[in-house]
Amino acid sequence: MCVLCLFVATCALVSRRALIILSLLLLAISFGCNSGAKPALDGPVTRELTDDAGRRVSLPARVTRVVSLAPNLTEIVFAVGGGDRLVGRTSYCDYPAEAKAVAEIGDTLHPSLERIIALKPQVVLISTSSQLEVFTQQLQNQNIAVFVTDPHDLQGVFRSIAQVGEIMGEKLRTALLVESLRDRADDVETAVKGKQPVRVFYQVSAEPLYTAGHDAFVTDLMRRAGAASVTANVPGAWPKYSNESALAARPDAIILPTGGSMGSANSDVTEALRQSPAALQGRVYKINDDYLTRPGPRAIDGLEAMARALHPDAFK
Amino acid sequence: MNRVTLRKTLISCALLGAVLLLVIISMSLLGSERLPARTSLCALASLGTSACGLTQDQFDILFQIRLPRILLAAAVGGSLATAGAGYQALLRNPLAEPYLLGISNGAAVGTMISLVFFGAIEWTRPLLAFTGAFVATFAVYRLARGRAGATPERLILAGVIVTTFLSSVIVFVTTLMDATRIRSFTFWLLGDLSGASKTLLPVAITITIIGALVLTLHARSLNLLMLGERDAFDLGVEVGRVRMVVFLVASLLVGSSVAASGSVGYVGLVVPHLARLSLGSDNRISIPAAALGGALFVIVADTVARTIIAPRELPVGAITALIGAPLFIYLLKRV
Repeated sequence: MCVLCLFVATCALVSRRALIILSLLLLAISFGCNSGAKPALDGPVTRELTDDAGRRVSLPARVTRVVSLAPNLTEIVFAVGGGDRLVGRTSYCDYPAEAKAVAEIGDTLHPSLERIIALKPQVVLISTSSQLEVFTQQLQNQNIAVFVTDPHDLQGVFRSIAQVGEIMGEKLRTALLVESLRDRADDVETAVKGKQPVRVFYQVSAEPLYTAGHDAFVTDLMRRAGAASVTANVPGAWPKYSNESALAARPDAIILPTGGSMGSANSDVTEALRQSPAALQGRVYKINDDYLTRPGPRAIDGLEAMARALHPDAFK
Repeated sequence: MNRVTLRKTLISCALLGAVLLLVIISMSLLGSERLPARTSLCALASLGTSACGLTQDQFDILFQIRLPRILLAAAVGGSLATAGAGYQALLRNPLAEPYLLGISNGAAVGTMISLVFFGAIEWTRPLLAFTGAFVATFAVYRLARGRAGATPERLILAGVIVTTFLSSVIVFVTTLMDATRIRSFTFWLLGDLSGASKTLLPVAITITIIGALVLTLHARSLNLLMLGERDAFDLGVEVGRVRMVVFLVASLLVGSSVAASGSVGYVGLVVPHLARLSLGSDNRISIPAAALGGALFVIVADTVARTIIAPRELPVGAITALIGAPLFIYLLKRV
């Protein structure tokens, strides 16, 4: 570079016209040099982040190719402004609409390892710890980082968003996003504050009867929406639940996650709850299942929808 | 039927029937929700005509949820054990069992096809399950018949082949389903009695009773068939007709129970063996005894499944397999 500068300077002394031409040339070269030099400078530079599985994950300084193995992670990647760098997604990832243009790598439980490797991602984002060990090992052999998110409550969702934002190098945008989501969540909690929590049964599926247990993030979401889930203390995230216990719980409201990816499935109350106070008073609320089952930015939409359904007078 | 056998049959069936009634009553007092024992017994004695001081919720738990489930368990257990006893006699193989021969899987494929393509039409479930079971039965039977006849090993091998083939079909069908339904299907595949449907329960009970009666009436022919098909034929047994009856009835039994509850394994193995061990190998006694014993076995297994981690639940098939698999190994070593 310096040699070049000297050369230009010498030339400049010779003629004015040459100066203009040569300085343009220099500009072009220096641009070329810069873009060529950058990877050489940044390539080996890595950062370390700790994921939700407690693993230290080494990441390249700038992530340009990422694969998401869960719909909520795809939504987060787009929300933090990294959608253009998403190169692979699962068949369940249908939001936002742009996501559908991204290559499919199978579903969350059966992703195609070959296809993932062929996409040459730097990072693979996963939300389930099942099949983690074999999977992670094989990806790491290919020098692909695996980052695990595992939110169990709304704080965990915010943490996931912040982590993905940091991975994508979109710290500022992510901070603004998280702040606005937090504000909306706070508004809901302020609105329902002092209201008597409504005893709610959350029906994941009717036959067999599944519900949301202690570890499901939607249980925390319900609490914040002014609901007291009757299954909040049942161990596990999505336990199979006894029909008799559901009947005996006498919930005052029932939430049916349905209408999103579920389509029309799960739009009827399970038989054991047909005579419950909730069903008799018509307090059965259908809420888009994508809001309630995907711990991503739209979880706040789910929080708002639940709070408005359960405490309509608080939002007048 | 001579008088001695008839008396023995009636006495053992009466005894088992009494135990069954006792177990139905006592198991309906157990569940994830505690019900007051005395008032519940009073309500049960009145056959649901009087609440005896139970609250409406307690009454509904007892009569809308718990009792139908226990009756379904009885029907499923009775069906599978009867079918197992029938297959064992007909195929002269102590290891013949609907689950191990792949017949339950055949019924499961039928049920799944009904759920995926005719989800709303409930009566297609037992119908397609029966068709699946019947096709699987014939496939196993044809595969098992070598030049030297159906040896026990060959039959079990044929069962393994049919089972694994149909398992792949099941996996294939599940991938056609959306993600939200897969978990409930895996639960159902292991046997789940919580969906005691009001329309399928009477069907299952009727089929169980009719099936057990028909097979018991063919018990003499089955006794002779245990000597070998040739000898039975020489003794005047219409081998082809009896075989067809057993295949049809057993497929009907397996089909109706799988359609109602998924594949509950090992019942058809454990129960007929226990019946024969305690009452002798005369099918006139062991088939009806297996029917009643199967009902007992599955009621108890399901009570464990629904109470052990209450208010969560286990699939009942996990419990029956836990008891059945070790017994299978024991029997395999004796064969």
